[in-house]
Amino acid sequence: MESAPAKRRKLDHSQTKTDNALQTAAVTGVSRSRAFVLETEELLDEVSLDYATAFKGADELLHKIKSSIESIEPHEPTQITEAAARIEKKHRVKVPFPDPRPSKSSNYKVSVAKPTQFNVVGSYVSKTMVKTQKCHTIDMVFLIPAEILQEKDYLDLRYFYKRAYVLALASAVLQNDFGTTADLSYEHLHGNPLCPVIVLQPQALGGSEKPSSDENSGDAQTQKPLDYRIRIIPCAPDEFFPKSKLHLGASLVRKGKDGDNSSASLPTPFYNSTLVAEGCFFPYLRVLRQAEKRCKAFKNACILGRIWLQQRGFGGSVAQGGFGHFEWALLLALLLQGGENKGNASLSPSLSSTQLFKAMVQFLSVTNFAEKPCVLGSSTAGEDISDAGPVIYDSVRQLNIAFKMSPWSAAMLYQQARWTRNILNDSSVDQFNPCFILKADLPLQSFDMIARLNRSGKFDETAESDCRGKVWQFSSKVYRILKRALSDKELGERARLIHVRLPECAPWPLAEKPKSPKVSGVEVGILFDPTNAGRTVDRGPVAGPSAQEKEDCEKFRRFWGSKAELRRFEGDGIRETVLWSSASPFDLCEEIMRYILNLHLQIGALDDDLTFYGHALSRLLPLNPTDSAVFNAARKAFTSFERDIRDLEDLPLQVRQVAPICPELRHASVKLPQLSPSNIGSQPMEAVISFEASGKWPESLAAIQRTKIAFLLMIGNLLEEKKRGRVKTWVGLEDGQSDIENLAFLDIVYESGASFRLRIHSDLEEALLERQTKDKTVEQHIRTRTAASLATFRRLYTHLPLHTQTISTFVTRFPALSGAIRLLKQWFNMHKLSYHFTDEFIELVALHVFISPYPWDAPSSANTGFFRALRFLAHWDWRSEPLVLDTGGDMPPADRTAIATRLEAWRKIDPSMSHTVVFVATAQDTTGVAYTSVDGHAKPTKVVATRMTALAKSASRVVREQGLALDTRTLFVPSLKEYDVLIYLNGRVAKDTRRTYPTDDPIGLAENPVKHGKFKNLDERTGQEPLPLAQYPSQALLKHLDEAYDGVLVFFRGAADDTTIGAIWNPQAQSRKFKINMPASYKPVGTTDSDESDEEEVDVVLNREGILAEIARVGGDLIEKIDMKT
Amino acid sequence: MAVGPSTIGDFSVLPISIPPLPSFPRPATHYVYLRRNAPKIPTATDSRSLFLTNVPIDSTELHLRHLIASLVGNGRFESATFEDEKRDANPVADAQPVQAARLLAAHSKKRKREGEDAERAREEEAARLPSTWTRPLRRSGGTAVVLLADAKSVEQVLKAVAKVHRSKKYPTWGVGEVHDAKRIPPLGSVWLKAHNRLSYPDKDALQAAVDAFSALFTKREQEAAEIAKRLRNEPDEDGFVTVTRGGRNAPASRNEAEEAKRKMLERQEKKREEMANFYRFQLRERQKEEQAELLKRFEEDRKKISAMREKRGKFVPES
Repeated sequence: MESAPAKRRKLDHSQTKTDNALQTAAVTGVSRSRAFVLETEELLDEVSLDYATAFKGADELLHKIKSSIESIEPHEPTQITEAAARIEKKHRVKVPFPDPRPSKSSNYKVSVAKPTQFNVVGSYVSKTMVKTQKCHTIDMVFLIPAEILQEKDYLDLRYFYKRAYVLALASAVLQNDFGTTADLSYEHLHGNPLCPVIVLQPQALGGSEKPSSDENSGDAQTQKPLDYRIRIIPCAPDEFFPKSKLHLGASLVRKGKDGDNSSASLPTPFYNSTLVAEGCFFPYLRVLRQAEKRCKAFKNACILGRIWLQQRGFGGSVAQGGFGHFEWALLLALLLQGGENKGNASLSPSLSSTQLFKAMVQFLSVTNFAEKPCVLGSSTAGEDISDAGPVIYDSVRQLNIAFKMSPWSAAMLYQQARWTRNILNDSSVDQFNPCFILKADLPLQSFDMIARLNRSGKFDETAESDCRGKVWQFSSKVYRILKRALSDKELGERARLIHVRLPECAPWPLAEKPKSPKVSGVEVGILFDPTNAGRTVDRGPVAGPSAQEKEDCEKFRRFWGSKAELRRFEGDGIRETVLWSSASPFDLCEEIMRYILNLHLQIGALDDDLTFYGHALSRLLPLNPTDSAVFNAARKAFTSFERDIRDLEDLPLQVRQVAPICPELRHASVKLPQLSPSNIGSQPMEAVISFEASGKWPESLAAIQRTKIAFLLMIGNLLEEKKRGRVKTWVGLEDGQSDIENLAFLDIVYESGASFRLRIHSDLEEALLERQTKDKTVEQHIRTRTAASLATFRRLYTHLPLHTQTISTFVTRFPALSGAIRLLKQWFNMHKLSYHFTDEFIELVALHVFISPYPWDAPSSANTGFFRALRFLAHWDWRSEPLVLDTGGDMPPADRTAIATRLEAWRKIDPSMSHTVVFVATAQDTTGVAYTSVDGHAKPTKVVATRMTALAKSASRVVREQGLALDTRTLFVPSLKEYDVLIYLNGRVAKDTRRTYPTDDPIGLAENPVKHGKFKNLDERTGQEPLPLAQYPSQALLKHLDEAYDGVLVFFRGAADDTTIGAIWNPQAQSRKFKINMPASYKPVGTTDSDESDEEEVDVVLNREGILAEIARVGGDLIEKIDMKT
Repeated sequence: MAVGPSTIGDFSVLPISIPPLPSFPRPATHYVYLRRNAPKIPTATDSRSLFLTNVPIDSTELHLRHLIASLVGNGRFESATFEDEKRDANPVADAQPVQAARLLAAHSKKRKREGEDAERAREEEAARLPSTWTRPLRRSGGTAVVLLADAKSVEQVLKAVAKVHRSKKYPTWGVGEVHDAKRIPPLGSVWLKAHNRLSYPDKDALQAAVDAFSALFTKREQEAAEIAKRLRNEPDEDGFVTVTRGGRNAPASRNEAEEAKRKMLERQEKKREEMANFYRFQLRERQKEEQAELLKRFEEDRKKISAMREKRGKFVPES
C-alpha cells in the first residue's frame, strides 16, 4: 500500500530545520507557501537581536534601579496635595497627577511603604524584540505595596493619584542616583493619560561609538549596543480591587470636575479596564511564560506578529491603535490555552510559527470585535459588555484586552487582517513581501483622502468622565459623525474605511506638567468605495405616514439639519434627500465633511479648520469627472464607425472584426480624445480590421501589402460614396523601410470631428512570416528581420486589440484605473521617459497595482493608484523578476514558472540586456516581450529602465519622507540638468507644422510660398479641411535623429507635443580607433590643442559640435535653441 | 584653429567649416575622410571615384557636387552614391512569389537580355510607391562614393585636400543650399510638412501603382509556373529531375498542408491522452514523478532564497 510508508515518515520527526521545512512543504504542497516558510525563517534570522551585545549592561542597570527604588523612604499618611508640594520643593520633581488633579480641599491621605516586588516584563524577557523596531524599551514594573492602598481606591481616580505620587517619589530617588548617567522623563504608558511612567534613557554607552541607527549593516556578531531605554512602571497588586465592581458597565468616576454628580450614571469602561490592567502585569507575565513553554513556535510567531503590526502602523499606544505586540502575544497565548468561545477553535501548540501567524491573521479577519465583543473563556460577564467600543474579553482575568483600541483602529485592524488573509490565500503571488517587508501605513498610499483638523471647535467639557483625554473624546465624536455620514448603510456607503490618526504624545521632563494635548494634528483618513463615492443625491428614509417612518425621518433631519429636504423620485416615492453640488468623489467627500462637521462640531466652516490632502494630483492633470463621458463618446463614435464599415455591401470579403488599438479608445490617454472638428491636423484613433479567412491573398508578403492598399482604397471610396459629404478618407503611406512591412493605412475623418485610422489584418501574412523565420535555407540576417516583422505584426494585430479589450474591461471594473493610468503616463511624460516606453507597458504597470494590490485592496482613487504604481516601480527588480499580470484571473501556476524560467533563460543568453530588458507577461502573452519591444528593439533599453527605477525610487522616497506635507507638483518636475544636450523646439512652428493641406506644395521648394492668413477670405485654404497627421512632426524628427545617431546619443522626450528634448552622450562612444564604418561623426585627435595622440588606440574623438550643428540644420526653424553642457 | 593631422591611415582628412545657425551659434567643423575608391570587388569606375566616410547626415548629391567644385572647380563631379541608397536599390525584388523567386534565381542564367532588362526596370518603376520624404537623412558616420569625371580629377581633389590644411581655408558646407535653393529641398518644418503631405498621395496615382504591381506580380507568377513546369520534365546535366511543387493535380497550398499536419498531431495527442492512467504502474510512476518534482522545486526555492540573501536587504522590513 502506498499510504503506509508515508504515514510512518510523517511520524518520525527528524530534527533538522531543513527536514522540518521539507515536511511542511510536503504537507502544504504549493510552491509559494514553501517559499513563504523559508522566507519567514530568513526574516526571523535577519531581524533577531543578539541580546548580550545589544543590551550590554542592561541587567546591571536594572539591578541598580531596583536597589535605588528600594531606597524610597516610607512615611506616614499625609494629605495628598501637601505631600505633592513637599516633593516638588525638595526634589524639584512634579507629581504627574492625571487630569482632573486632586483638589486642595480633598482629604485623601497618602502614605509610602518600601516597594518589594520588582519584575521585568514585556518583550525584553521574552526576547521578542526585533532590530527594526523604532525604539527598544525594557519594561520594569514594581508593585505598589498593598498596605498603602485601600479597597475603595478604585473610585474616582484615587488609586491613580496614589500611583502618581509613588511614581514621583521613585523619580526623585532615581534622579538622585542616575541624574548624571541617564536622561529621565515622564511619559504616559501607551498614551494612557491615567498611567504616567518614568523613562530612563542611558546616555550613550561606551563613549567611543555613537548610537547607530543602522544595525542592519552589521552582522549579528558585530552588533553594536542599542539605544535602549527603560520604562519604570508602578502597578497594583493582583486581585486587590474587587473585579466584580470593575466590570465594563460600571461607573467609577462619579465626581465631575466641579464636584457635581451629573455624569455619575455614565459608565467608564476605559477607566475600569485601566484599573484592571494595573493588576494584571504579573498574571499576564505568567500566561506568556506558560505559552512560551508549551509552544516552541510561540516566540517566533510573536516576532512575526510584531513585524506585521509594525508595518501596518499598529502599536500598543492609544495613538497607534492600542493593538501592539503585547496584545498580539496575549491573544495568541489565550488562543493557545484553548480559551475559545463557540466557533473559534483554539490553536494547537504543535503548529509552526508561520502557521500560528496565519491562524492569528485568520482569527483577526473573522472577528470584528469593534462590532461584536469577542469573549475568550467561559463568560459570565457577557451581559456587561455593552457598547464599550472594541472588546476582547479575557474572562479569567476579567479584562478587556482591547481597551486601548478605538472603534476605528479595530475596524482598521479587521480590514488589514482581511487584506493579509487575501494575500495568504492567493498562492500564486509573492506573499512574503506584502506581509512583512512593505510598509503599509503610508497615508498617501493607503487613503484616498486625508483631512487634518486644525482647530478644535469647542470642547464639550462635561462628557470627560472616562479619562481618555480630550483629544480622544473629540476624535471619537468626529469618527461617529463621519461614520454615520459617510459609511453607514443608511446613505449607501461612500467610504469603506474611516481612520483617525491621533497625535502621539511625547515624554516630558520630570519637573514639568504634561503638555496639554491639542486637537490640531488629528488626521482623518478615508478610503472611498469607488462605486458609491461619486453619487450626488443621497436618498434617505421614505417619508411615510407610519410612526416608524416618521421617526426615521425625524432622525434623518436631525442629523443632516437644513440640508435634508423632501423629494419625490420616480417609482421610489417621496423620500428625505440630501443633495450635494460637487462632482468628483473627492470634492463630494470634502463638501459633506465640511458641512456635517460644521453642523455638529462647529468646525470646518473656515477653510483653515480642515485641510484636505490627496487631491492635488488630479488638479495637476487635470482629471475631471466628465472625462469618462468623453472617453465613452469616443467609444461610441467608434461603434458607429464600425457599423458603417460592416454595412458596406460591396466588399469582396466578409468583415470579421474591427478592433480598436489606441489608448484613446480604452480610457487611457493623457489627453482626451479629439471629437470635434479642428483646423489642426490630429492623429486619428487607430483600429485594425480583419476579414474572414480567405484563400485569395497572394502568397507573397510584398503582394499582400499591395493588395491591402487596394483594399483600403476600395473601403475609402465605398465609405465616401455611402456617406457622401459626411466622411472624408485618405490613404496614407507608412514611414516604413521595406516593402514587406505594412505599407499603408486608411484615415477616415468624420464631419463630426472623430477620425479613425484603419489597418488591415491578413492571416496569410502571419503564416508567411512565421514560415520564413523558421526557414533554415534563408540567410540569418533576413530571418532576424523577418522575426522582427513578425513581432510587429503580432503586436499590431493580436496583442494590441486584446490589450485594448483587457484594459477597457478593467476600467469598468475599477473606476479609479483610468485616472491612475493617466497620472502615471503624465509622470512618464514629465520625466521625458515616454519616448522609450510603449503605452501598453505603462498601462499594465498601473493595472498591476489594481489586480495585485497587496498589502492593500485595489485602489479606489486615481491618487492612491498612482502612488502605489510609483512604489511598485521603485521596488521592482526588473533584472531578475518578470512582471506577471494575471489578466484572465486563472493563470495556471505552471505558466508563471514558465515565464520566470523564460526570463532566466533570456538573462543567460543576453546578460548585457541588449535585446530583452523589461519582461512583462500577461495571460494572453506569455512571451513577455510583446509590450516591451518594438520593431525588434527593446523598449525601454537598459539605460532608460535604470533611469525609470531611479526616478521612481526618489519619487517614492519623497512621498514617504514628506507624508502629507508633500507638494505633489514636485513629483512632476523634470530635472533637466542631468542631460548633456537640451534641444528646445519652437512651439509655434511645431504647432504650425502639424497643419497641412492637400493643396500645399508637396516638395516645399516654392520660391516664395504664398502668404496665408492675412485675409481669411482670400486664403485659398479657408474652408478646406486639413490633412490628418500621419505622425507627429516632432516625433518624426526625433525618429530620424535617433536612427542617425543610434548608440551615440540617447534622446529623451515626453509626450508627442513636448518641446524640450533631452539627450545624453553614450560615454563609451567618446573616442575610438579610426575605421571605415564609424557609428557617428568623429574628428581626428590633435585638432583640439595638445598632441596626446601618443595613445595608439585612440585617433578620433566624437565631434560633438559637429553633431549638434547637424541637428540644428536638420531641425531648421523647428529648433529654437540647442544647449550643450560643457 | 588648431591644426589636425591631414591624414589618418590611407585616408585624407577634409575639414569642412559649418556656418553657425541661430539655434546653435557656435562655429563647428565637420571632418570628412576620403581616399581613392578600392572596393573588394573592383568595378569599372574605380579609378575615377573617391570613397568618402563620415559624410554629414544632411548630405545630398548636390551638396557633394558643390564641395568638390569648391575644391577643384566645376565640371569634375559626375555623381554620388550613398551607402543606404545601395542597400534598397531594388525594393520590388520581393514582389515575386517566394517559390518563384527561388526558381528564377536558380535557373535564370540564360534569360539575360538587354531589352528585357530595360523593360523590367520600367515596370518596376511604375509599381513603386511614391516616397514620403523630400530628402533622406544619412546615418551619422556614413559613407558615400563620389564618381568624378576622370582619374586625373581624383588626383586633383586629393591634392586640393592636402592644400586646404596648409592654407587653412576650409570649404564651407551648404553653399549649395544657397546657390541651388530650387533643387535642394529644405529641411526643418517645411521638410516635415512636406512629409505629411506626401504621406497622403493622390488616390489615382496610388491605384495606378498598385495595378502596375499586380500586373507585374501576375506576370512573374506565370513565369515561375512555366519554369517549374519545364523543370518537372527536364533532367539537368547530371540526369536529376528537380522535384517542384504541384504535379498533375492543382498545386497544393502550403496552408492546407499545415492544417492537415496540425490535425494529425491533434489526433495523436488525443489518442495518447486516452491511454494515460490506464495502467496502475502509470499512476504510480506519475505519483513518483510528482514527488520528485516537489522535492526539486523545494530545492530550487531554497537556492533562490539563498541568492536573495546574498543580495542583502531583502529580508529587512522597510522602515
